[in-house]
Amino acid sequence: MSFLALLFYIFSAILLASALGVIAARHPVHSALSLVLAFFTMAALWILLGAEFLGLALIIIYVGAVMVFFLFVIMMLDTRHPEKIKANWRVTLPPLVLIGIIMFAELAMLIMHGSHAREAMPVPEAGNTLALGQAMFDRYIYSLEVVAILLLSAMVAAIALTHRKNPLAKRQDPSKQMAVKAEDRLRLVKMTAEREEDNESDVSSGNVSLGNKPDGKGISS
Amino acid sequence: MIDAMAHFFAEWGTLGMLVWTLLKIICIALPLPIIVAFYVYAERRVIGATQWRYGPTRVGPYGLLQSFADLLKMLFKEIIWPQRANKGLFTIAPVLVVITAMASWAVIPVSDKLWLTDIDASLLYIMMLSSVGVYGIILAGWSANSRYAFLGAMRSTAQLISYELAMGFALVGVVLLTHSLNLLEIVHHQEGGILSWHVWPLLPLFFVYWFAGIAETNRHPFDMAEGESELVAGFHVEHGGITFALFFLAEYINMIIISVLIVILFLGGWMAPFPFLNEIGFLGITPLGDGFLWLVVKVVFFLFAYLWIRATFPRYRYDQIMRLGWKVFIPLTLFWVVIVAVATQWSRMFG
Amino acid sequence: MERAKQFFKTWLLWDMITGLRLTLRRMFEPRTTVFYPEEKTPKSRRFRGMHALRRYENGEERCIACKLCEAVCPALAITIDIAEREDGTRRTTRYEVDMSKCIYCGMCEESCPVDSIVLTNIHEYHGESHQDLYFTKEMLLAVGDRYERQIAHDRAGDAAYR
Repeated sequence: MSFLALLFYIFSAILLASALGVIAARHPVHSALSLVLAFFTMAALWILLGAEFLGLALIIIYVGAVMVFFLFVIMMLDTRHPEKIKANWRVTLPPLVLIGIIMFAELAMLIMHGSHAREAMPVPEAGNTLALGQAMFDRYIYSLEVVAILLLSAMVAAIALTHRKNPLAKRQDPSKQMAVKAEDRLRLVKMTAEREEDNESDVSSGNVSLGNKPDGKGISS
Repeated sequence: MIDAMAHFFAEWGTLGMLVWTLLKIICIALPLPIIVAFYVYAERRVIGATQWRYGPTRVGPYGLLQSFADLLKMLFKEIIWPQRANKGLFTIAPVLVVITAMASWAVIPVSDKLWLTDIDASLLYIMMLSSVGVYGIILAGWSANSRYAFLGAMRSTAQLISYELAMGFALVGVVLLTHSLNLLEIVHHQEGGILSWHVWPLLPLFFVYWFAGIAETNRHPFDMAEGESELVAGFHVEHGGITFALFFLAEYINMIIISVLIVILFLGGWMAPFPFLNEIGFLGITPLGDGFLWLVVKVVFFLFAYLWIRATFPRYRYDQIMRLGWKVFIPLTLFWVVIVAVATQWSRMFG
Repeated sequence: MERAKQFFKTWLLWDMITGLRLTLRRMFEPRTTVFYPEEKTPKSRRFRGMHALRRYENGEERCIACKLCEAVCPALAITIDIAEREDGTRRTTRYEVDMSKCIYCGMCEESCPVDSIVLTNIHEYHGESHQDLYFTKEMLLAVGDRYERQIAHDRAGDAAYR
C-alpha cells in the first residue's frame, strides 16, 4: 500500500466518522464542528486527487464562511438543554426516509450507469486553477452567469424580506459624525469681564432672592 | 547544502521524507517565537517612546530579555478551566490559532532560494488558513462559558469575515496582474525596480489590504475583540498561563505574516528598489542586491507601522468598523478590480 | 469648495497622517521616566511616611501619654496604656501603631503637644506579615533615634509655616 493510499484511507475514515458525528452528536455545536471536520477531510481528499483549487476553495467558502455563520447562529441559541429540542419522530421520519431513498437511488444510478463517473479525470497540464477557470469562463459561461444572477436575486430577496426600516430605531451616521468640525458645535463668545462692584451689589441683595420664599423664612435670615 | 540534505533524506523513501518535512517544520517553528519575543519587546519600547517613557529596561541589557521572562512566567502559571467550560474545546482553541498562524509559513518564500514548499495555489492556501483561523477564536469564546469571551468572539468573528472579503478582493487584483496564484511567480512578476512593483497599479488595493490586514489580526485601532474598557480582554478572557501565551504568539505571528504578504504581493518582495544595486559588489557578492535583506527592511517598516498606528489612534467603534469594511473597502476594491481587469484585457487585446 | 476639501481630507487620510506625525515626533523627544530605585524624585518636608517617637536631647522620651493621638486617630490605629513611672512622671507602658490600619493622615502628629509622635519621610519599608507591620513602642523609639537628624531638619525647615 502506497503512502497516498494510506492517507486516502485515513482521511476517508475520519470523513465517515465525522459525518456520522454530525447526525449523532447530542449538542448542536458539536455536530456543527463535526461538519467542519468533514469538510476539512473532504478537502484533503480532493487535494489528494490533484484538485487543490477545489479543495482550498471548499475550505475557504464552506469552512471559513458558511460554517462560521452556522456556528454563529447555533451559539446564539439556548442550547443548554439539548434534550428539549428533540424533534417529533412521527412528523420528521417520513420525509427523511423519502429523501434518503431518493438520494440513495440517485447515487446508485450514477454509479451503475454513469459511464464517465468511473474514470478519473486526467490532471491538466497547465495547472488545476487555470483549467478550472477556462472551463468555467469559456465552456460554461452561460450557466455560470445564470447561477450568479440566481444567487444575486436570492440575496436581494433575503435583504428585502428582512431589512425593514424601524421608525423607532435611532442610528448613527459615522460619515456625518466625522464631518463635524468644532465650529459646528461650539460658539466662542467674547464677553467683557464683570466688575467687582456689580458682584458686591449682588451679594448684598442676594438675601432678597433667598428670602423671597412664600413663608418669608429665607435660609440667610 | 540544502539540496544535498534533501537528496540524502529522499534516499530513505517515505520515512526520509517525513523526517525531512519534520526538520523543515522545526526550521519555522523555532525562530518564529524568538522573533515574536523581540517584536513584543520592540512594541513596548516603541509605544513607550511615543509616550515619553522607556518601556522595559531591566531584564537583560536594555531589557532585551523581558519577553522571555514573561514567557517563563506564563509557562509556570496554572491553567484554569472555568466552571462548566467545555474543557476540550477550551484547550484546543489556542492550539488551533497557533497552528493556522504557523502553517502559513510553509508556503511563504523569504528570498529567491529560501522557501519550504512551492505549491501552485500558495496564495489560496494562505487565504484558506486565515479563514480557518477564525475557529480558534470562536471556539475559545464559546467554550469559556463567559459573556465577555463570547461577545469578544462574536465581534472578532464578524470583523474577520467582513475584512476577509476586502482582503480577498485585493488579492484578486494581484492575481489579475500576475495570472498566477503562486507567491514566487508574483514576486518575479515585479522584477525591475521600484516602478514595476504592484503598489502603483494597485494603490487603493494596497491600502485596503494593509488596513484590512490590521483588522484581520485584531490589532489597534480595530481591536474590538479585546476592547479592554468594555470586554476586559475579549475572547481570551478566561485563558491564562500558556493557553493565553499561545493566543498572544499567534496574534504576533499573524502580524508578521500580514507584513510579509504585503511586501511580497505589492512591494516586490526581496527585490531591490533600484536594479543597479544588483551590480554593486565584489567577488560575486552583492550585499545591496535582491535578497533576504530587502525583504527584512520592507517587512520591518510594516511591523513598525503596526506599533506606530497602535500608539496613535483610538479604538474604532464597532459600527464604524463594520461600515468601513462593508461600505468603504469592499466597494472600493470591487471598483478597482473591475478597472484592473479591463486594463489587463485591453492591453492584451490592443497593447 | 468646503465639501471638496472635506472629501480629499477624508480619502487622503489627512487627519490620520497628522496624528501619525505627532506620535513620530514624540518618539524623539526626551523622556520623563525616573528610574526609581536609582533615581528618586524630591520629597516634601511634609511628607507623611513611617511613624516615629522622638526624644529630647537629653535622651528622655517626649511622650507624656496624653492620649490625644489615640483619640484623634480616625483609623483607630494607635493603642496606648499608661502608668506612673518611679520618678512620678506620667509615661506610656505601651504605645503601638498598627501600620496596616494607618491611613497616614498625620492627625496624630498635629495633635501631639510635645512633638513626640511624628511621621517621617520614609516610605520604603515593608513587612512580610501582619505582625511585622504592628509597630511597638520600642520600634517607634528606635525609628525616632535613627532618623532624628532628618526629622529635626524637616521640622525646622517647615516651622515658619506651622
